[in-house]
Amino acid sequence: MSTFSPFELWIMAFVTLAIFSFLYRDNPVYRLVESIFAGLSAGYYFGLMWDTVLMQQVVYPIRTDGAWYLLIPTALGVLLFSRLTRSYSYLSRVPLAFVIGSTSGVFITSRLQGLVLPQIRTTFMPQNIPGGSTDPGMIVVLSAIVVIGVIATLIYFYFSHEHKGALGVTAKVGIWFIMISFGAHFGYTVMGRVSLLIGRVQFLVESWIGSFTS
Amino acid sequence: MTVWERIAAMDRRWIYLMCGIAVLVPFIIPVSLPVYTTPEVQQLYDAVNSLPDSSIVMLTYDYYPSTVAETEPMSRAALHHLFSKNCKVVTLSNIPLGGPTIAERVTRELAAEYGKVYGVDYVNLGYKANYVAVMKGLGTAISGIFPTDNTGTPLTQLPLMQSVRNYEDIAFIFVVADNATADYWVSIVNAQYGVPMCCGATAVMAPKLYAFVGSGQLQGLLGGMKGAAEYEQLLGRKDRAVRGMDAQSLIHLLIIVLVAIGNLGYFMGRRAKRGERA
Repeated sequence: MSTFSPFELWIMAFVTLAIFSFLYRDNPVYRLVESIFAGLSAGYYFGLMWDTVLMQQVVYPIRTDGAWYLLIPTALGVLLFSRLTRSYSYLSRVPLAFVIGSTSGVFITSRLQGLVLPQIRTTFMPQNIPGGSTDPGMIVVLSAIVVIGVIATLIYFYFSHEHKGALGVTAKVGIWFIMISFGAHFGYTVMGRVSLLIGRVQFLVESWIGSFTS
Repeated sequence: MTVWERIAAMDRRWIYLMCGIAVLVPFIIPVSLPVYTTPEVQQLYDAVNSLPDSSIVMLTYDYYPSTVAETEPMSRAALHHLFSKNCKVVTLSNIPLGGPTIAERVTRELAAEYGKVYGVDYVNLGYKANYVAVMKGLGTAISGIFPTDNTGTPLTQLPLMQSVRNYEDIAFIFVVADNATADYWVSIVNAQYGVPMCCGATAVMAPKLYAFVGSGQLQGLLGGMKGAAEYEQLLGRKDRAVRGMDAQSLIHLLIIVLVAIGNLGYFMGRRAKRGERA
């Protein structure tokens, strides 16, 4: 059962079909709907930012809790706009320094702790076989494939020496692993894009056309 | 003009039409093709199933409306699973456009189905800008980042939120995302706060996230509509994703045939040109 009113369903169906009309060729209905989408998104985003950032995180705490210290980050935020003027643009470096410093602090730790170290560790650990098999021979083969694949791929991206001899052979093995990875990504991307089409067709058939009979 | 040249010069709109028909037909004549469960989805199901009843679970709606075909069935299935186990659910969104609205609509719809009370059994925190700051801040105090819920009610007035201060009170995080936030939930929240989590992601993101399942950082993964369909099937509730899988299979078959014909046409055309030159 749809949770949308008949009016909403008709608007949604019209907009969906208008967007699909671009597949035949560019046309005014498509352009109208595209412009409405861009305008609505910008307006909604502005309103959301105004409410959730400016009002909820700055204005209300200052007014109700007397959190005057919030004026400091607010002033830093305002300084970012100094980039719009040539003579005062240097002032924007102060908030940018905070942004870059805090971002580096957060990301260096999280990338190392959450990505690099666990992934290195897993690469050199015995791999789990899909389906839960515990055949030691299979585990050795699978683990070897992973280790060789990772090392060969990394060597492909090592550009400080000419890819000749053993280095060249390993880099070529790396290309094969990269191609297999691209293939998997492409397959999943196709599935993702098809899913989006299925979602809209599902809406048109089940919710919109289905509402005629219910 | 040979048949291969005609195929190579085919107007792309014929391909769109074929794709459209391939997607449409299974909705009119359902085939109910089988959906097999992959280990990652089984792992996710087992992880959620092994949570003690009444656990507090955080469910994220980190996705834009453009990907609801893949992600919304995941959120719905997750809520069915969690509410059926009487888990307390805290939802939030790190995506400004669509996320908070979808969270409100889907959560309230499913909660009504299970007779859950807002503020007691579930809370929707809504959206706050800057997801990295949000993820870090929730580790200190949820009320510091979300002083109110999505509707502006102070958290102090919501009974559930009186027992949830930060990640220490969260038993599990179920991330549903269509963008990089999934990556940050793992690298910031799981790595630094140790909260166990699983992820439902769009198909485009899935290949990257498999590495996190292998390393044990994610306790399971739903990849795209297929993952959602497998989860629905494990829950015994064949819903939107399962219904969409017939179309998915048919259109994949069509794409395979088109790729094969396209390649055949290319090689046959090249051979014909060589023959002409000779």
